[in-house]
Amino acid sequence: MLSVKDVTTFIQGKKIIHDISLDIKPGEIVGLIGPNGTGKTTFMKTVLGLTKFTGSISIDKQRITENNHQALKKVGALIEHPAIYPFLTGRQNLLLYSESNKDLEEIISTLKMENFIDKKSKNYSLGMKQKLGIGIALLNNPELVILDEPMNGLDIESTIMIRDVIRKYANQGCMFLISSHILGELQKVMTQVVLLRSGKVILNRSMDLLNQDSSKKYYVQVDKKNLIENLLSRNNIDYQWVDNCLEIDSQDVKLMQDLIFQNGFYLNRLEPEKLNLEEKVIRILSDKEGSNNEE
Amino acid sequence: MVSSLNKEAYKLVHQKITWFAPLFVLILMIIMGILMNGSEQKLLIMTSYDSSEWILFALVVVSSTIFTLEFQDNTILTMLYKSDNKLQVYGSKLILVFIYNIVLHILAIIFTIVLQLTPLNVHLSWLMINQYQQTLLSNLLMTILVDIVSSTLIISIIFFTSCIVNLNAIVITLNLMIVFLGQSASSSLMIANLKYIDIIKWNPLNMINLTKQYYNYGSYHIVSHLSNSQLLIGNIFYSLLFFSLGYVIFKKKKF
Ligand SMILES: Nc1ncnc2c1ncn2[C@@H]1O[C@H](COP(=O)(O)OP(=O)(O)O)[C@@H](O)[C@H]1O
Ligand SMILES: [Mg+2]
Repeated sequence: MLSVKDVTTFIQGKKIIHDISLDIKPGEIVGLIGPNGTGKTTFMKTVLGLTKFTGSISIDKQRITENNHQALKKVGALIEHPAIYPFLTGRQNLLLYSESNKDLEEIISTLKMENFIDKKSKNYSLGMKQKLGIGIALLNNPELVILDEPMNGLDIESTIMIRDVIRKYANQGCMFLISSHILGELQKVMTQVVLLRSGKVILNRSMDLLNQDSSKKYYVQVDKKNLIENLLSRNNIDYQWVDNCLEIDSQDVKLMQDLIFQNGFYLNRLEPEKLNLEEKVIRILSDKEGSNNEE
Repeated sequence: MVSSLNKEAYKLVHQKITWFAPLFVLILMIIMGILMNGSEQKLLIMTSYDSSEWILFALVVVSSTIFTLEFQDNTILTMLYKSDNKLQVYGSKLILVFIYNIVLHILAIIFTIVLQLTPLNVHLSWLMINQYQQTLLSNLLMTILVDIVSSTLIISIIFFTSCIVNLNAIVITLNLMIVFLGQSASSSLMIANLKYIDIIKWNPLNMINLTKQYYNYGSYHIVSHLSNSQLLIGNIFYSLLFFSLGYVIFKKKKF
C-alpha cells in the first residue's frame, strides 16, 4: 500500500504541493487529474524521492525520502517524457533495467512492440517512445506504477490497449498512480479520482461512489397534465415542463409519487437526470463550495 | 553500486563515440609519426606519439557526453529513482570514466609498441637509457602514468562543468578551451602578475602542464614555476576538489 501523509513540496522556495494525503491499495488505479502547471509531475517526483518534502511517504510501511530509495525497488515510473537512450534499441533500453528475460518478452508482446523493438529508438515516433516508456515502468513486476500523462501521443487503438494493460496489471495487485489534464481520458480505467488544483487536492473520491446516483433532478412523464399540475401546486412542489416531461427536484420525488398514487393517477416514466463524469464532478465541487461558504 | 556500474558500462559500450575515440587517437598518433619521421625519435616514443593531447580530446567528448546525455532525454530521473542515492549515480559515472581513461592509456602503449615496429620509426632499443637516467621503456610507462593523473584533473573539471551546464556542446567547447588554451592563459596570467607569481602558480590551469613538463622539463619548468612533484600534488588536490564540487552541485540540483 502506498501511503502519502501531509506531503508538502517546495521548489526553489515556492510551495508547489500543499499538504497532500492519499492512499493507494493493491489493485487500485488512482487518476491524478488537474490542469497543466498544477503540480501533478512535481507530486509524482516527490513520491519517487526526487525532491525535498515535508510529511511522509511510505510503501508497505517502508519510508521513502530523498536519500533513501529502498522502498522504490518495486516501483516503475514514466515521468513527463519517456526516459529513453536514443543510441540504444528499444530492447536494449528495456534490458538496461530488466531483471528477468521472461518478463521482458512478455512486456514486448503485451504492448505490441515486436515490430519496432529491435530498431534504434532515436527513430521512434512519439507513440512508440511512449509505449517503450510505459514498458520500462512495467518492468520487473512492480508493486506501484507511476505514469505521468501516459496517453500523450498515443492513437485511439494504443490508448485502448494501454488501458487494458493497466487493468491487467491492476488485477494482479499492482497499484497505479496516473496523471492526466483531461478528466475523461482516464474515466474508463481509474478506480479513484483525485482532482488537483494549484497543488491542492480538491476532490478525492472512488469511481464507485461517483457512479452512484448523484442526480438532483428527475424527469416524470404523466397523462393528465392539468390535474397533476394542480396537485403539485397545491402541495407546494416546484416543477417545470421540459419537453413534455415534468422536471422536479430529487427531494420531492417521494412526496410526488405518494400524491399521484393516492389520487389514482399513473406515472408513465420516472428517471433521474443523466450526468457525465465532468458534470458530476463540477456539481460536487460547486456543492462543496456552497457548503464552505455557509460555514 | 555494481549494478549501477554495469548499467553505465552497458551505455558506454553501446555508443559509437566510445569506439571512435581510440581509433581517432591511433590515427593522430600515426600522423604524428609521419610528420616527425626521422627526428626526435626518443621523444616520440616517450610521449607515445604525443597521444596525451589526443586522449584528452577524446576524453572531453566522451566524458561530457556521459553526463549530459542523461539530461537530454530525462533518463536522469529513472537513474535517480532506481538508485539508492545521488552519490551512487555520480560515483558510478566517475569510476567508469576513470576506467575508460586507463583503457585509452593502455591502448596508447600498445599502439606505440606496434608503431615502433613499422617503418614509421628508426628502430630503437627499449632498454637504451633516456631521460631521468631511465630506460626508454620506463620513460614511456612513467609518462603514461603521469598523464593518467593529469587527465584525471581534466575529467574532474568536465564533471564539474557538466553538473553546472546541461548542454553537451557547451561543456565540450568549454573543456576543449581549458585543455588547449588553459596552459597559455595560466602562463600569461603569471607573466602579467610577476609580483604574485608564488600564489598564482598554484592555479588549477597551471597544473595541466604536468605531462608536458615531465617529458620536457627544460622548456616547461620555466613556464610552470613548479617542480614535477609539486605539479603532481596539485593535480591530485584539484581533481579531488573539482570532483567534490561537482558532486555538491549535482546533489543540490533539481530534476
Ligand atoms: N524545476 C522547477 N523550477 C521551478 N518551478 C518549477 C519546477 N518544476 C515545476 N515548477 C513549477 O511547479 C508548478 C507545477 O509544475 P508541474 O508539477 O510540472 O505541473 P503539472 O505536471 O501538473 O503540469 C508549475 O507552476 C511550475 O512552474
Ligand atoms: Mg506534468
